[in-house]
Amino acid sequence: MMTITLKINGKTYTRDVEENKTLLRFIREDLGFTGTKEGCGAGECGACTVILNGKAVNSCLVLAVEADGSEVETVEGEMQNGSLSDLQKAFERNGAVHCGFCTPGMLMSIKALLRKNPKPTVEEIKAGIEGNFCRCSGYTQIIESVLDVTGQLPQRKEEVRHV
Amino acid sequence: MYETINPTDLKYVGKKINRVDSAEKLIGAEVFTADYTFPGMLHAQVKRSPHARAKILRVNTSKAEKLPGVRAILTGDELDYKLGMYVVDKDILAKGVVRYAGEGVAAVAADTLAIAKKAVDLIAVEYEVLPPLLDPLDAIKKDASLVHPDLGKYDYLAGVFAPQPGTNIAHHAKVRKGDVEKGFREAHWIVEREYSNPQVQHVAMETHVCIVVWGPKDKVTIWTSEQSVFLVRKLFCHTFKLPHNNVRVIIPCVGGGFGGKAGLFLEPLVACLSKETGGRPVKFYPSREEEFNLLPCRSALIQRIKTGIQENGKIIAQKTEMFWDTGAYADYAVNVTRATAYSCSGPYEIPNAWVDGYTIYTNKVYGTAYRGFGNVEFSWGVERHMDLCARITGMDPLEFRKINALKPGSLTLTGERITEHTGNILKCMEAVSNSVHYGEITEEEKDRENRTGMKIGKAVGCLQKAPAIPTNTGTAVVLKMNEDGTLNINSSGTTEIGQGSYTALMQIVAERMNFPLEKIYVSIDNDSDKDPYDWLTAASHGITMSGDAAILAVEDLLEKAYSIAAQALNADSSDLVNDGDGIYIKGHPERHVTWKEIAIGYTYPNGNSIGGPLIGTGRYIAQGLTNISLETSQGLPAWKWTYGSYGIIVEVDPETGMYNIIKVAGAFDVGRVINPQGVRGQILGGMVQGMGTAMCEGFIYDSEGHLLNPSFTDNKIPTAMDLPEAVDVIVVETPFPHGPYGARGVAEHPMIGFCGVLGNAIRDACGADLTHMPMRWEDVWRGMNHMESLDKWVRKGAAMCETLGK
Amino acid sequence: MLVDFKYFAPSQKEELLNLLNDKGEKAKIFAGGTDLLPDIRAGLIFPSALVDVKKIQDLDGISFSQNQGLSIGPAVTINQLLENTHVKERYPILIKAGKQLASHQIRNRATVLGNLSNCSPCADMAPPLLCLNASIVISSKQGTRQLPLKDFFIGTKKSILKPTELLERVIIPIDMADSRGSYLKLKRIKGHDLAIVSVALVKKRGTIRIAIGSAAPTPVILRDFDINTKFNDICDEAVNAIHPIDDLRASAEYRMHMVKVFIERLTKEA
Repeated sequence: MMTITLKINGKTYTRDVEENKTLLRFIREDLGFTGTKEGCGAGECGACTVILNGKAVNSCLVLAVEADGSEVETVEGEMQNGSLSDLQKAFERNGAVHCGFCTPGMLMSIKALLRKNPKPTVEEIKAGIEGNFCRCSGYTQIIESVLDVTGQLPQRKEEVRHV
Repeated sequence: MYETINPTDLKYVGKKINRVDSAEKLIGAEVFTADYTFPGMLHAQVKRSPHARAKILRVNTSKAEKLPGVRAILTGDELDYKLGMYVVDKDILAKGVVRYAGEGVAAVAADTLAIAKKAVDLIAVEYEVLPPLLDPLDAIKKDASLVHPDLGKYDYLAGVFAPQPGTNIAHHAKVRKGDVEKGFREAHWIVEREYSNPQVQHVAMETHVCIVVWGPKDKVTIWTSEQSVFLVRKLFCHTFKLPHNNVRVIIPCVGGGFGGKAGLFLEPLVACLSKETGGRPVKFYPSREEEFNLLPCRSALIQRIKTGIQENGKIIAQKTEMFWDTGAYADYAVNVTRATAYSCSGPYEIPNAWVDGYTIYTNKVYGTAYRGFGNVEFSWGVERHMDLCARITGMDPLEFRKINALKPGSLTLTGERITEHTGNILKCMEAVSNSVHYGEITEEEKDRENRTGMKIGKAVGCLQKAPAIPTNTGTAVVLKMNEDGTLNINSSGTTEIGQGSYTALMQIVAERMNFPLEKIYVSIDNDSDKDPYDWLTAASHGITMSGDAAILAVEDLLEKAYSIAAQALNADSSDLVNDGDGIYIKGHPERHVTWKEIAIGYTYPNGNSIGGPLIGTGRYIAQGLTNISLETSQGLPAWKWTYGSYGIIVEVDPETGMYNIIKVAGAFDVGRVINPQGVRGQILGGMVQGMGTAMCEGFIYDSEGHLLNPSFTDNKIPTAMDLPEAVDVIVVETPFPHGPYGARGVAEHPMIGFCGVLGNAIRDACGADLTHMPMRWEDVWRGMNHMESLDKWVRKGAAMCETLGK
Repeated sequence: MLVDFKYFAPSQKEELLNLLNDKGEKAKIFAGGTDLLPDIRAGLIFPSALVDVKKIQDLDGISFSQNQGLSIGPAVTINQLLENTHVKERYPILIKAGKQLASHQIRNRATVLGNLSNCSPCADMAPPLLCLNASIVISSKQGTRQLPLKDFFIGTKKSILKPTELLERVIIPIDMADSRGSYLKLKRIKGHDLAIVSVALVKKRGTIRIAIGSAAPTPVILRDFDINTKFNDICDEAVNAIHPIDDLRASAEYRMHMVKVFIERLTKEA
């Protein structure tokens, strides 16, 4: 066991934690932030993506103990002043939330992407979320949300083309 | 219902409304079963068989029992309950024999996950390993060893299914329509080929997971990631012989279902563990590897089609054999076999048809329902076969489909007469073929070929599906007015598994009631104690049937409300109309009562009160469905049909077999779009899931029956990088008279048909004529070069192969 | 995690080397953890100590000098490599290869040296580094040694590294700066996947150097070729130098074919 102190979404937490516990399970079980999900535990699916010291990482492959002194951003910190952030609103507008299980990790990957690249191309968005599986939406509405929030979404006359 | 209303007269239905459940999910506040913890909760782990087929000689739990923190251990022998959707062939934990590598043999509940894992390691099992049966075509042979020697003793749904004792056949479905041999004699051409595809997993992002408390007096509470509180309750109570009132099932938000959560899976085991601990809450949250290897998948299929075609290009006869490899247990597969037998024509008229479908046991992970209920698997063969037939007759594949398409007056395989209300497959075909410029390579495409060296190909194909539902499928919806004049919808028919139907349900209620969406609330969680009954959220029938029930619930509520309002206003109900604020006399809005004033009864100025809490109930049961004959499948099992069509443009690298999908056009006759964003989401999502089946997904075993790809390392699913370059999402609206505002349902359909059309486009591009899915790049390369194809499901070679590591 | 290990986060290199020396086989270097933690989770290894290299103050990051060339330390992640100006300008093949390694999230953690010391024949960084004539520096309490990267790999998941040793640096010589070349990787989908087979090719000063991954128990480097060598002749030698296997990911035949296709495309491109 070790004692760690870290910031989650700007607030400081000090806890004792087993050395072999992942950051993912620490934030979910020890701190109760269950927004971030475990989809595979092996760094493949991205459902566990958080931003660790400014970088999007699979928290299932980070140890809680090594995050001592770190700053972690999770989906719970995404809202702005009690309202959905611009990115979250774009997701809502564009139908990008289906079952919602991939959504927290997806938001964190995109947040990290937009900080470095405020106007990504479609290819750059795809590369940014390559490590985030979504089984429900087929990704397009998620990509459109990012285009929307960055002012790049081409106008679409209708959602589905009637014939 | 109200299917003829003009779209311009609709206020809510057909409009793009943001999903009501988005916000909670976006802020990470939506709680899934995977997220729940309870005080004193124990963690379960399962000891799984390393062998595909073996006798269990001895299970030694003594060391595990001594581990501090272990609160319960169970083995198969201690649990005398049988499970099975239709053929009751499964034990909660393997009893005496194991039938697939990965099957649960013992289970532990302990204070922490780490202790539970340690305890499982300390359980020692002695096996006598037996040679496994892996190929369904071997399993169906006369002298094959039996996966279920006691098949003759199992309970099963008689009259609907026909397990064959003394064989590995859990069901034999038959379609007999007309005279197929005569048809072949009259045919000008006869085309015969075999198609196949492997087991595939649903890969919902949230694995199966459940928490159970087996309380005093056998009161059981279950929190689970499934698709129906009522189905779980029914199956659970049947297994444990409990009255329905004893069991409460709660389904919070579900992280994806795709048909894989439409039954009873982990609940019995976890319940027994809880009971063993004296009622502690026990949670089992499988790892992804366990999801692949312990929990079920989709059956594999070998399909043989023989088609007789007349000189004018019309199909006169077709014989189909389908061998469904269900793995170790029959689960839903017998019903998939039954339902696909009567659907396997595709949306084409087959005047004389003979179908034999077999559910076959093998020693592999077992198959359950999956989006499409067998249609994704067989439409691969059907669409590939239609192109082959067209080629043999010298006709263009699109023309061939047009002249054979089901039209008003056609008869389906079960003898159902198609009418102009059934749907418009021709319109779907036309829409997609225009979208992809089928039949030509455009200048832009020629230029692209020249620049890249890739070869472009195109294809158009079709699909159809009706819900495979019991003839008594029904649902109910309850509307409750709140004291402040807002409205709650209570319905479990559209369990939220990602499809977003609750929003569409709100739109239907708002429309029928002329009531604003902002004042309507629908609870996403389902609870069998509180919710009205529904069969199951599956089969693309949810919004259709629940929407009908919701309309009836509105009408019930309005009738009651108007009756009170009429008294309060000294009027007759027929004098009244309403809006979101209240009920008033036509033409005299000043004479009104607000919803608030009558929500829980109306009180006169002197204090006399009439009425009571406003509740509207509506229930709907599938109309006119009949049983189908076991011998011929004639009857009316189909409540409604949704037709669709895909047009695909693909480019293939002639040197490597790699391919890109340049464009997909998908058109679906959805009857009426309730929420266009929702429909679009289903089409885009289903298409990509179909792409996964077509391109890269499939279970691979070694020759001893070990699943070689039980993780994302080697069980690949599409990522954002794998998308087609362009997608055209198209809807046709032929109203369904028995659907809410004419809506049909389109949940499964975007996944169906995609694979066969892609296969045809690839063949058009480069000549690779593949008959097995997935079409990996290497498979396309082999196809182009007329090389022997790779092992299909089972690799040659005895031991687990040496992987190169990561 | 299955295993109860102790976590150590030394702040000085000497401390790390002492730990390794004391614990030997029981300890594992913990860099990105993207190979290590999955292996522990899968029950493939059972270390009792994880020694974190990421908090050490006196170990190199990534640096470039006109004398030495490029030096990469043990905590340098793939994404840090991709963002480095010197790498982008002088050793672009490393960018082309690094970009194809797994996903963005993995690249924020996986380290260059970790990718090498995992000794998978699929390692994406190995073929380009071999082509760039990289050498490695290995340190232990007993001292330091430097050797060519090609001598590092001895088998699948086997390197010459002893349990008490740290792979401290990889050095890419200055004379390989500004070479042309690229890295082609066969996957099963366009999304993130490990290399089913891969080829790196570097051209400098009239010489072609080719390394091949996932086609033998270790990454393979071919002999130097004259720049005018026909790709067919290169392929003939490549075919003899590698022995890809049949497995669930691909057949040996397809792997062999794709190596030849990649060699042809790379020789024509650069």
